[in-house]
Amino acid sequence: MSIIEKIADLNTFYAFSIALEEEAAERHDELADMLDVHNNPDVAATFRKLAHYSRLHAQEIGDRAKGRTLPVIAPWDFGWESAEGPETGDIGDVTYLMNTAHALQLAMGNEQRAHDFYDQISRESQVPEVAAMAAEFAAEEKQHLGLLRGWVNKTKASVDEQLYDPDPPHMPE
Amino acid sequence: MSQSITAGALKPKDYKSAIKPIWCPGCGDFAVLNAVTKALAWLELPLEKVALISGIGCSSRIGAYTSVYGFHGVHGRALPLAAGLKAAREDLTVLVAGGDGDGLSIGGNHFIHACRRNMNMTYIIMDNEVYGMTKGQASPTTAPDWAGSKLTPGGTAIRPFKPAALALASGASFIARAFTGDPNELARILVAAIEHKGFSFIQALSPCPTFRPEQMDWKYQVHAFEPETTSNPVLAIQRLQADDGMGMGIVYQQDLPVFQPGGASPSTDVASFENEFAL
Repeated sequence: MSIIEKIADLNTFYAFSIALEEEAAERHDELADMLDVHNNPDVAATFRKLAHYSRLHAQEIGDRAKGRTLPVIAPWDFGWESAEGPETGDIGDVTYLMNTAHALQLAMGNEQRAHDFYDQISRESQVPEVAAMAAEFAAEEKQHLGLLRGWVNKTKASVDEQLYDPDPPHMPE
Repeated sequence: MSQSITAGALKPKDYKSAIKPIWCPGCGDFAVLNAVTKALAWLELPLEKVALISGIGCSSRIGAYTSVYGFHGVHGRALPLAAGLKAAREDLTVLVAGGDGDGLSIGGNHFIHACRRNMNMTYIIMDNEVYGMTKGQASPTTAPDWAGSKLTPGGTAIRPFKPAALALASGASFIARAFTGDPNELARILVAAIEHKGFSFIQALSPCPTFRPEQMDWKYQVHAFEPETTSNPVLAIQRLQADDGMGMGIVYQQDLPVFQPGGASPSTDVASFENEFAL
């Protein structure tokens, strides 16, 4: 069953959207913790801020769904097209040397996938109310992408910066 | 109230402690922690009813990063510690975790006997084919031609263990392989492993970004076992021997008698517990 077929009503759509944002928030927190521990406070703060916005977004969707009985779906039963939710960054994509520009680049990739997810539902769902809300969420994700672009323009860091550690951990004994 | 990804009152993050993992950014072990917390939340297990026992190594730190009971034990001795705990406290859900070196080299003998003993516990080996904590030496699952360590500049020239096949030959009743790049699938397998009555073994392929950066490509190599599960050990061993080491899923599951020493009581009454050990 495709993900579009799975999201057969508005309650299921809400359940998917909340899970998407909660999982993204959780991952941003995990990434922030990783970079915190490895003394990269700027990138940690960026991920922490992203976690905050993901959590706010989950809260907003939760508020809109108030009074509804949402289906309880196991994390592995969502059947996302990638291994995790569309807005969840890959743990393997971070390194202790990364800078704020790299973090924002990852975040933009996440937002783009979230946009594409909602956009696909808005175009392909046979349920008008689901399609309409998905279009609204796709527009919000587009807005988030715009905000991130603003952050990228403000940051002094660059994705082209050479990542160099004069005392790397990989020094085979 | 809005819906959450967990069925119970506790969310996955409630199973995490306040201690931030010191694993390298990008390490697959983060996904194991993520999957363990999702599985425990899904099963609605109370914090005080779960114990996570580990050995020594990067991955064995996982216990400290959870809020369930834990015992960070001696190198390679997580399984006997866990067996002792399970013998005394049958009511606990006992998880055991560690790395490929801890579980298959230092603790290799404990592993094969834990498989045949079939006590009701779940063992996760986070397999990155390297000793990471000691800065990158070959482990029992390292390919013979890996020359990344100065200790083995031309490779080990020794064929690696196949952990899943070893578990099957040793009598384990639940054997699975999972990939940390898919934490949700790992969580599903963990739930099945915890629910299984007997010794459940999960080989979690967990890339080491620092000493084995080439493992970051595992995400392009893993594939699902088709069909996923069999209870036939002959079919299971054929599949494991023919596999490229990247097949994922619950490869074997069988109902076998569970070993639980007699006299064990779920009682937490200290006096009666002491009586069981009185000479």
